[in-house]
Amino acid sequence: MKLAPGAVITKPGSSERYDTGSWRYTRPIYADKTPPCNDKCPAGEKVQKYIDLINMGRFKEALETIREDNPFPAVCGRVCYHPCEEACSRDEYDESLGIHHLERFLGDYGISRGYASGAGKKLIPRSSAKIAVVGSGPAGLSCAYHLARRGYQVTVFEALPVVGGMLAIGIPSYRLPKDVLQHEISFIQALEINFKTNARISSLDELKDYQAIFLAVGASMSIKLGISREDAVGVHHGIDLLRALNLGKKVEIGKKVVVVGGGNTAIDCARSSLRLGASVTVIYRRSREEMPATPEEIEGALADGAEIMYLTAPKAVIVTDGKAAGLECIKMRLGEPDASGRRRPIPIEGSEFKLGADMVIVAIGQIPDLSFLPNDVEQQKGRIVVDENGQTSRPGIFAGGDAAGAPERVADAIGSGKRAALAIDCYLRGKAAPAEKKPEVVPFEELNLEYFVPAPRVAMPYLAPKDRVKDFREINLGYTQEMASTEAERCFSCGVCNGCDNCWLFCPDIAVKKLPESRYEIDYDHCKGCGICATECPCRAIEMVSEERE
Amino acid sequence: MKELSEEELLAPGHRACPGCGEALAIRLALKAVGKDVIIAQATGCIEVVTTPYPETAWRVPWIHAAFENVAAVASGVEAALKVMGKHGIKPIAIAGDGGTADIGLQALSGAVERGHNFLYICTDNEAYMNTGIQRSSTTPYGAWTTTTPVGVVKKGKDRPKKDVPAIIAAHGAPYVATASVSYPTDYIEKVKKAMAIEGPTYVHVHCPCPPGWRFDSDKTIEVARLAVLSCAWILYEVEDGVSKVTFNPPKRRPVADYLKLQGRFRHLTDDEIAEIQRMVDERCRRFGIE
Amino acid sequence: MKQVLTGNEAAAIAVKLARAKVISAYPITPQTAIVEKLSEFVANGELEAEFVNVESEHSALSVCLGASATGVRTFTATSSQGLALMSEILYVVSGMRFPIVMTNVNRSLSAPLSIWCDQQDSISVRDSGWVQLYCENNQEILDSVIQAYRVAEEMLLPVMVCFDGYILSHTAEPVDVPNQKEVDGFLPPYKLPHLLDPNKPVTMGPVGVPEYYEEFKCMLQEAMLEARRKLAEVDRAFGKRFGRRYGLIERYRSDDADILLLTMGSLSGTAKELIDWYRKRGERVGLVRVRSFRPFPAKELVKTLGNAKAVAVLEKDISVGWTGALFADIAAAFINVRKKPLLMNFICGLGGRDVSPLQIREAIRAAARAAETGEVKKSVRWLGLREKLVGLKA
Repeated sequence: MKLAPGAVITKPGSSERYDTGSWRYTRPIYADKTPPCNDKCPAGEKVQKYIDLINMGRFKEALETIREDNPFPAVCGRVCYHPCEEACSRDEYDESLGIHHLERFLGDYGISRGYASGAGKKLIPRSSAKIAVVGSGPAGLSCAYHLARRGYQVTVFEALPVVGGMLAIGIPSYRLPKDVLQHEISFIQALEINFKTNARISSLDELKDYQAIFLAVGASMSIKLGISREDAVGVHHGIDLLRALNLGKKVEIGKKVVVVGGGNTAIDCARSSLRLGASVTVIYRRSREEMPATPEEIEGALADGAEIMYLTAPKAVIVTDGKAAGLECIKMRLGEPDASGRRRPIPIEGSEFKLGADMVIVAIGQIPDLSFLPNDVEQQKGRIVVDENGQTSRPGIFAGGDAAGAPERVADAIGSGKRAALAIDCYLRGKAAPAEKKPEVVPFEELNLEYFVPAPRVAMPYLAPKDRVKDFREINLGYTQEMASTEAERCFSCGVCNGCDNCWLFCPDIAVKKLPESRYEIDYDHCKGCGICATECPCRAIEMVSEERE
Repeated sequence: MKELSEEELLAPGHRACPGCGEALAIRLALKAVGKDVIIAQATGCIEVVTTPYPETAWRVPWIHAAFENVAAVASGVEAALKVMGKHGIKPIAIAGDGGTADIGLQALSGAVERGHNFLYICTDNEAYMNTGIQRSSTTPYGAWTTTTPVGVVKKGKDRPKKDVPAIIAAHGAPYVATASVSYPTDYIEKVKKAMAIEGPTYVHVHCPCPPGWRFDSDKTIEVARLAVLSCAWILYEVEDGVSKVTFNPPKRRPVADYLKLQGRFRHLTDDEIAEIQRMVDERCRRFGIE
Repeated sequence: MKQVLTGNEAAAIAVKLARAKVISAYPITPQTAIVEKLSEFVANGELEAEFVNVESEHSALSVCLGASATGVRTFTATSSQGLALMSEILYVVSGMRFPIVMTNVNRSLSAPLSIWCDQQDSISVRDSGWVQLYCENNQEILDSVIQAYRVAEEMLLPVMVCFDGYILSHTAEPVDVPNQKEVDGFLPPYKLPHLLDPNKPVTMGPVGVPEYYEEFKCMLQEAMLEARRKLAEVDRAFGKRFGRRYGLIERYRSDDADILLLTMGSLSGTAKELIDWYRKRGERVGLVRVRSFRPFPAKELVKTLGNAKAVAVLEKDISVGWTGALFADIAAAFINVRKKPLLMNFICGLGGRDVSPLQIREAIRAAARAAETGEVKKSVRWLGLREKLVGLKA
C-alpha cells in the first residue's frame, strides 16, 4: 500500500492505538473514603451524600438519603448535638458546615410537601415474623421504622397515652414544635405499624407470641438528690414537670425557681420556667466546661435571662410553713478526674450559702425502670447489657436507647434502634449480624485546600431573645432553600468524589472519561500514572497505587 | 466546568512525558476553539510527541513546517483563506518559548505587524525542552538548565526572563494575554476572547515541565498555581493597549514558596532568592499589585 | 501580443497570467522589480491575490507553504542571500510536496558581498528537491514560469525558474505575451490530494521516523525522475498551444560537432554567436544548453554529447574544494558509458564578471587541443582570472 506523498497522515487521532498505559508504575484509582461527618453521626447518616444532593438541587433524594438511616430529620435537625459538625474538616479551615441546619431544612421540606418516607415501599417481600417493640421513644420508633420498611410486622407498645417518648414529653416546643414531631411520627405510622398506647408491659411473658423483641423503655425515673427535705412541697423532678407541660396539663410555676443539674433536662426546665414567668437560677456542681447540656442550649438559657451558678451543689432544702423556700448550697472545687473522666467536685469547707426559691426542680439524671425484666436478661449498673448490635444476653431479645446505656442523646437512640433492626432482620433470617466495618477517614491535612475559598457559615435566623422568652414559639426559624443551597456549597466532600471535574480537566493524556451521574473512569490503556488527578482532587477521593506487573 | 466542551480534539496515546504542562495547555486550548480551526505548529515538544508517523494525536487540521516560522506559515494560511473567501476560520499558530521568543521572534513580529487575523499561542515551559532542557530567553533568572548549569564559576541563568507579551503588546496587537494551566477557566476564556477579536492576538500560557524544572510529575498544577499566587507569573491581558491584571492573588505568597518546589532552583542561596523576590516585587509594583 | 520586457517584468507578468493567489516575497537586488510589479498588479486590481510583505525570505517561502497547504496557487522570488536564508524551507517544501513556483534571479553569494550575476546561489541548493530550470532569454522566462505551475501541480514538486541577474533581469527584450484566456486553458485550477480543511482534518509535516523516512525520500526522488517525462510532456503541450518549445536541453548546431560547449543560462546566447563564427570558418563546433538542471537530463546529454571528441563545460559556479557542479554531474552521467568525450571544466563569470567571446574562444581552443592530444592536462580552469593577483603562476 503506497504511502501518501509528503507524509500526510489522513487518520485523525490515530495515536489512540498506542498504549502509553504501559509507561506506568503507579496507577490512580477512585476509592471513596468515609467522610468524618458520616463517621461521627450516631445514626449513621450519609451526611456527605445528602449535602451533595442538596448541591445538585435534588432535595427529595437528599431527604430520602437521610431517611435510609434516620426517620427524624426534622426532629434531629432541631435537637441533635451534632457531633458531625465537630468532626467536620471545614472547622479547621474557617467554620464547620451547618449540617444540623441542613438536616432540619430537609426534614421541614419533607413535611411541607407531605413526602412520607417510603410509605408502602417494602425492601423485602412481606415476612410472617412478628416483632414487638417496647417503648415508642426515638430508639423504639427507629427500630420499628427500619423493620417495617423491610417488610416486617411490628407492634409498638407504649405505656403513655402518646407516642414519641422523650421527643413528645421531654423536649419543650420552643426546641421541637409539637406539629413537627407529629408529622414525622405520622410518616412512620403510615408504614402499617401497629401502635398500642396506654399499654405498659409488666412482663416479657406478655410478648411470647413475638419472634423478636426490642426493648426501648428509656430512662424515665428521675434520680433523687439525696439531701434532706427533698420530699417537701415545691420540690419537683424535671422530667415530671416537662411531661406535664408537654401533655398540655396546667402547670404551676413559682416566681423564683432554682434548677439543680447541668444536662439538657435541667436547661429545658430553666428555659420553660422563664417562659412561664419565673426568674430562674441554675446550679451545677462542676464548671461550664463539664456541663453536659448542648452549648447552644446553655447560651440560649443565658440569653433568655437565666442565671447559672457553677461549682455549686445543694446541701439541703429549706422548708418554711411546710413548703420549699430555698436551698442551702455549698461551693465546690474541682479535684482529680473520676471514673467518667471528668474532674471530681469537692465541697469547699465553710462556703455554704442560702439561695431563696419557691420552687426547686431536680434534674440530675434519669435511670430506666427495668422491673419487668426477667433474670436471664443481663443488667449492669441499672442498664440492660447489649453488644454493639443491641443483642441482649437472651437470643431474640434486643435493647437500645437510654435503657441499654447508649449515650443519652436522641441521635444515639435512633442509631441503636437502626442497628438492632438490622440485627433482628439477620436473626430472623438465620444470618450472622453484620460485622462492624472499620472506616477510613480522610483527615483535614490531606485535602487540597486550593480549591476552596473561606466563607462563613450561613447564619440561622432566630427570634430575638427579648421576643422569644414570652412564649413557647420555636426559636430558630430555619434555612430557606437559598440559604441551604449556599451553605451546602461549603462542603469539602472529604474523601468522596462529588463530581468537581478536576481529574478530568487536568489530565494531559485525556485518560479520564466522564461517566453519567458526575463520576469518572480512568482509561488505563493510556494513563501514564503522572498522578496529577490524585494531587488535584480536592477531597482525596483518588489514590495512587502501585502498578502490578508480571 | 459544566460549560466546557466534552469533545476531545487531542487524542490520547501521544508521547508527552507524564505530567506534561504543555500537553494540557494544548488540550484546553482545543476545548476553547472547537473543531473549525486550522493549526500551524512549530517544531518542539508538542509537535514531536503528537505526530510520530504514521500516528497523529490531532483531530483537527494541523501543519508543521519548521522551528522558527510558524507565524509565517499561519500568515500564509490566513492569506489563502482570505483569498478563498473562507471567512469563518481564524488560523492558530502554536509554538513553545523557543519557537516564539528566540528563533521565532522575527516571524512573529512580522506577522503581528502585518496585522494578519490569527491567534498565536506560546506554550512556555521556559527552556528548549525538546532538545534536552537548554536555556531559552524565557528561562527565568537563576534557573538551572543544561546550558546554564550550576558550577563553581557560574550558577544558573544570569539574565532575567524576556517579556514576550510586552513585546507583542508594543506592536499594537489588539489583544495580548498571559495564562496558566492551573487556572484553566481563565485560560480558556482568554483563548476564546482572542479568537473572537479580529486581528493578530496572542496568548502566552505558562506550562511547567516535570523533567525540565525538576519536580515530580503529579505537581504540575501545583507548581503552576504557586507561580501565579506568588506573582512570579502574573495573569493579565492587554486589550487595545490597556493593561489589566485579571487575577490578583488575595494574599501574595513569597516567591520562595514557588522556587522551593523545583529542583532547577535548588542551588539558590537566600540572597539570590531575595534578589528574585525583589524582581517580583518590582514587577508587581509596575502592575499595581500589592 | 509582443511587448518589450525585462526578465523581471516577464516573470511578473507570467505570475499574473498564472493567477497566483498568494504572493509573498522579500526584496533583494536584482529581484526587486518582480515584487514591485506584482504589488502594482494587486494594488490596481489587475491581479486578485493576497500580497504578503514579509520580513525575510525565510518567512516568504513559509507563507507560500501555508497558503499552498490551504489550497491556493502561490509564488515567491528571490536571489543569492535570500535564497540561502530561505534554503532551510526549500527542503521542507519539497519534502512536504507542495507545488510552489518561484523565480530565482541568479546572483553571486556573499562574501565578498556581490549583487552581480553568477549561478552559485541556485546551484548550491540543487539537492533541495526543487525542479530547476535555467532560462536563456526573457521569453523563456515567461513561458517557463507558466509551464512550471502545471509541472509543479501535476507532480507535486516545487519548481525554481532561474535566470541571470542583470543580464536578463534588467535587460529588455521583445517578449510575446500570451493572452489570459489561453493561459487559463493551459493551467487547470489548483488541486492537491489533501488540504487544510476542518471538514477533513489531516496532519501535515509529522515526524519522519527512521522506519519511514527513507521511503518518503525515495518517493521524492522517484517523482523528480518522473518529472523529466512530465517536463517534456508539458513543454510539448505548451508548444502546441503557444507555438514555442524548449525541451530539457537545447541543441545548437551540435549534431556533427567535434567540440561541444555545455552551458546554462544567458551565457548560452553569447556562446551561440561564437559557434556561428566558428561554423562560418568550417569548424565543427556546437553548443548544448542545459535547461532542466534538476532533474538532470542525463540520458539526453549522454546521447547528445557522446559523439563529440571534447566537451567544454562552462559554468558560473564552483563547488569549493572540487569542480563546478555541472561538470561533476555530466562526468557522473558518463562514468559507466564506454564511449565518452573528453570533459573539461571552465569556471567563468563569477561575481558578475563579464564572459566575453574571447574567454569562450579560449575554452574552445583548450578543448580542441585536448581533442588533438587525446588527453586533458588540467580538468578545471578558470576563464578571465588574473592569476598574478591570486599569486598563481599564469
